[in-house]
Amino acid sequence: MKALWRRPEACIGLILVLGAVLMALLAPWIAPYDPLAIDLARKLMPPSAAHWMGTDQNGRDILSRIIWGARPSLTVGVLAVTIGVLGGVAIGLSAGYVRGLWEQAAMRTVDGLASIPMLIWAIAVVGIVGVGPLPIGPWTLPNESKIILLVGILYIPPLARVTYGGALVESNADYVRARRMQGASRLAIMFGDVLPNCLSPVIVQATLLIAVGIVVEASLSFVGLGVEPPNPSWGGMLSDARKYIFSGEWWTYVFPGLAISLSVIGFNLLGDALREFLDPRRAAGISVVA
Amino acid sequence: MALLEIDDLHIGYPTDNGVVELVRGLSFSVEAGEAVGLVGESGSGKSQTALAILQLLRPPVRILKGAIRFDGRDLATADERTLRQLRGSAISMVFQDALSGLNPAFNIGRQLTDVIMAHRRSSRADALKIAVEALGMVGIREPESRLRQYPHQFSGGMRQRVLIAMAIACRPKLLIADEPTTALDVTVQAQIVELLAGLRERLSLALLFITHNLDLMSQVCGRAVVLYGGMLMEEAPVAALFASPRQPYTRALLRCVPRLSDAPGAINSIEGAPPVAGRLGPGCPFVPRCALQVAQCVERPPERVDASRRVACWRAEG
Repeated sequence: MKALWRRPEACIGLILVLGAVLMALLAPWIAPYDPLAIDLARKLMPPSAAHWMGTDQNGRDILSRIIWGARPSLTVGVLAVTIGVLGGVAIGLSAGYVRGLWEQAAMRTVDGLASIPMLIWAIAVVGIVGVGPLPIGPWTLPNESKIILLVGILYIPPLARVTYGGALVESNADYVRARRMQGASRLAIMFGDVLPNCLSPVIVQATLLIAVGIVVEASLSFVGLGVEPPNPSWGGMLSDARKYIFSGEWWTYVFPGLAISLSVIGFNLLGDALREFLDPRRAAGISVVA
Repeated sequence: MALLEIDDLHIGYPTDNGVVELVRGLSFSVEAGEAVGLVGESGSGKSQTALAILQLLRPPVRILKGAIRFDGRDLATADERTLRQLRGSAISMVFQDALSGLNPAFNIGRQLTDVIMAHRRSSRADALKIAVEALGMVGIREPESRLRQYPHQFSGGMRQRVLIAMAIACRPKLLIADEPTTALDVTVQAQIVELLAGLRERLSLALLFITHNLDLMSQVCGRAVVLYGGMLMEEAPVAALFASPRQPYTRALLRCVPRLSDAPGAINSIEGAPPVAGRLGPGCPFVPRCALQVAQCVERPPERVDASRRVACWRAEG
């Protein structure tokens, strides 16, 4: 694992990701102000010792709102990827190992899903069912869960394909034959032997998809279909700051924009570093040099 | 009653133009504790026979006809649960590609104990003891520390030893070794063959040694079954087979074994091309390459039994 952190871009990625995660986890303790507290007497103040990132049009502390805004972004990113990984791995692994009719049905369905553009699909569905909590039988689905579900479903295709590719190769490996000769059941081989050998690219893909989820959440909040105001979100803050682009209050849009960019860059760098670390061909090359 | 009895085994797969038969009416048996060599060139059906014993033929290839009895039990009609219990415990198999026969994701201790625990109700600690013992038996030094290592930390010969350890850990009655040395270099081949011969004696297991290498076979086995084109050509004690082969194919095959006394560069081969499954008539598959052929050879040759030998040839002297 040490070789991974010797690379500078991997360290930067990890620091950025850790920063975003810590903001989200520790928001109640590290945010200096209440992110919802309106103080119209102190609106649109530039960065100062009291407000490091200034205040917005309602006098709310931008730093506090950015810290709290990490929550919806990361929640959507991480939970959507969780859905995508569970669904994608289950479909890809079984299709690649079982083959036959199930393989065709599952992978063609996945191809169909992959043809849906993420943002348009999310905007369309949220636009139709509305941004309010959605009651489904005894449960009510808050808007964020809807977005998580929508994004998560569209995460299934890339993760299913990556798993499927690995499962196809690994299912024909000699150790799978050997395990059959040793009396292992097909189910045990699928989960116990094939799955662990297909996981590396899935981990990489999942890390990169978290970044996509952050962008999708920000975009939806920007057009008003994500986190409902006045609750803080990075996309919503950018949306509020549109009015001030030409009037000089740069802190209203620079800081939320940076929050989005840096967290996305962080996950991308981390994903790339993991890819280099986990890719066996790369790994072989490194060991020859070392 | 023999430990393993194969009776009129036909293996094949259906195509649009009818069934292609890879193994055509093969019968032989292996006694408990006996080492039998199954010899033949590529495509003679020897590996398919091994897979058929474990009921692990890859569809669409399947058993068309015949019986495989192990310990008196018909394996062709056994259910999957019974078969899983037999595989790896009563019947084990070691095969050719030792280099990739181990899962790269787990250390070998985990893989050994998985096999042991699948067949014996034992704790992981007990399984580890059995694993250490098995590794010791196949001649791996410092087995305790080797258990924590991963497959890529082992050489090809060592990996084959680990696979053999996995195969014998549950004390099988029958070990099928399908070209276990093909992927290894010659010096290691000899070690592995020696190891198999030693294990057979120590654990009194029956060994079905599948190979195209007559030399290696003669070092381990007491009896040999020669296959060609999916049919039995000759069966005889190894010494008798080498001394006086009776079937034309066996004779041609033995002439191909290189000897030190041969002139440099001289390598004998059998004239003609090996048979193609599916394009064979009912007669002897060796006919197109046989110098002794007669008109009768287009009919299936009878297997002539003579004391400890069986020969399938119209011309074989009785």
